[in-house]
Amino acid sequence: MLGDCRDWHDVSVIEVQELTKTFGTVRAVDGVSFTARPGEVTGFLGPNGAGKTTTLRMMLGLVAPTSGRALINGRRYVDLERPVVEVGAALEATGFNPGRSARDHLRVACTAAGLPTRRADEALETTGLKEAADRRVLGFSLGMRQRLALAEAILGEPRVLILDEPANGLDPAGIRWLRDFLRHLADIGCTVLVSSHVLAEVEQVADHVVIVARGRVLRDAPLAELVRGGELKVGTRQPEQLRRALEEAGATVRFEDDRLWVSGVDAEQVGRAALDAGAVLTELVEERSGLEHVFLELTRAEMGEAG
Amino acid sequence: MIRLIQAELLKIRSTRMWLGMLGLSVGFALMGLVFYIALAGVEMDGREALPPVTDPDTVRAFYANASGGVLFMMILGIVGITGEYRHGTITQAFLVTPRRGRVLAAKLVSYFLFGLAFGLVTVLATVAVALPALAIRGGSTSLLDNDVPMILGGTVLAMGLYALVGLGLGALIRNQIAAILVAIGWVQLVEAIVTVALPQVGQWLPAGAVRAITRTTGGFGGMGELDTLPPWGGTLVLVGYGLVFAVIAMVTAVRRDIG
Repeated sequence: MLGDCRDWHDVSVIEVQELTKTFGTVRAVDGVSFTARPGEVTGFLGPNGAGKTTTLRMMLGLVAPTSGRALINGRRYVDLERPVVEVGAALEATGFNPGRSARDHLRVACTAAGLPTRRADEALETTGLKEAADRRVLGFSLGMRQRLALAEAILGEPRVLILDEPANGLDPAGIRWLRDFLRHLADIGCTVLVSSHVLAEVEQVADHVVIVARGRVLRDAPLAELVRGGELKVGTRQPEQLRRALEEAGATVRFEDDRLWVSGVDAEQVGRAALDAGAVLTELVEERSGLEHVFLELTRAEMGEAG
Repeated sequence: MIRLIQAELLKIRSTRMWLGMLGLSVGFALMGLVFYIALAGVEMDGREALPPVTDPDTVRAFYANASGGVLFMMILGIVGITGEYRHGTITQAFLVTPRRGRVLAAKLVSYFLFGLAFGLVTVLATVAVALPALAIRGGSTSLLDNDVPMILGGTVLAMGLYALVGLGLGALIRNQIAAILVAIGWVQLVEAIVTVALPQVGQWLPAGAVRAITRTTGGFGGMGELDTLPPWGGTLVLVGYGLVFAVIAMVTAVRRDIG
């Protein structure tokens, strides 16, 4: 809990140390290390088959690592006294008996964990499944199953959440809701680890990003740091003059598609350079897909190197 | 532990699978019983199809029908564990209780109890039909003579132990359809053939143990045609199978990755 006087931002709640998993001759996870801190949403990103799910399953004691270990609150998951109260996990949207109602599914977990069964109803309400509580999971859409998985994760009101592709199958409103929900949890000091292969989902909510491909960590950095270094697209009537002015201001400039692609300076500096050079700007756009750019570059390089 | 057993009870109550297995168990018992009631002492081709109800063997055979559906207790156990793998709910179970041995221990205790309870219901249904039939046909209506307590009690125990065997088999095979096919193939083919062809081996199989406990030969002949263990021997053999498969369930489920 957060009751003690330590600054919880400095505590690594999730600590993954050199996790490795070999299936036959395939190294599905190859020395993965990273940490996740309270108050932050950590995005665990990678293309399909990168080893994300296997890593999460090793963290939760479901898959035995070939080597390495993962600690949550300083202990391995299997050594936690009351795991459901410390860690909430939503792994995939298929873990339901189709003949069982949503409420019963959660009540089973409550009973086994020694939680009051009213927590099942509360979690259903939080995740917007109250109306569907007594329906069999058989008739649930993928989005509803995702919500039920999330309801299960929050049953014990844990301070650590580990979610595997929670946005899969959610409609735009659901994704928006999920994002707000995760943001809220991080803001009240929870540690949230979210895996995804869809960057757009994570880009808007993550504080910190760990990118994996082929079982290895490629980048582990604050989101802001990764997105920085994106380019500005600048249209102008006087490209040569502006280019010279920008380079004097310390920018790196290339010319392509009748535009200047500028990095190393911000929009204001571009405006100033244009003013000094007497250049007319026709366009000034910050490239939003910074993370996607980084992600593609990194994973492509990795794939190329391996192939 | 109590919490985990309560969770198992809630799991089994919250779907309809148990009703099907109970229905099949009772249905099989009554189907066999009706057959015996119809043929006992009836002349076919100039000789009796089955001895009359005044024969203690026939009385035993009436009640022994209660064990006709033990296979379904095995399937109950199989579904009890393979269903968790099939639907991925085993993940929930092991996340809530990462010490998997506890989950499996609770499952073993629970399914043993479910088997006993279903056995009790099956036995009661059998008695409810057999007793009036015997009374009408002039047979013994005592529930204390002719090894009846042994047969009925043994059937209840056998049902519980078969559920354990099913759990072990299911934990080993994990694929629900494959496990059920293996169970049916074993009971309907392997055991049936071995029992007839090699009775000295067959008496040591689970079916042989049930035969010993229920004091029947398992066929339509009279007692003593096949090698059969004494009742206590059959009980021990069956308990042995239950424990062996319980250990199999423990070891396999505890060590494997859940992916």
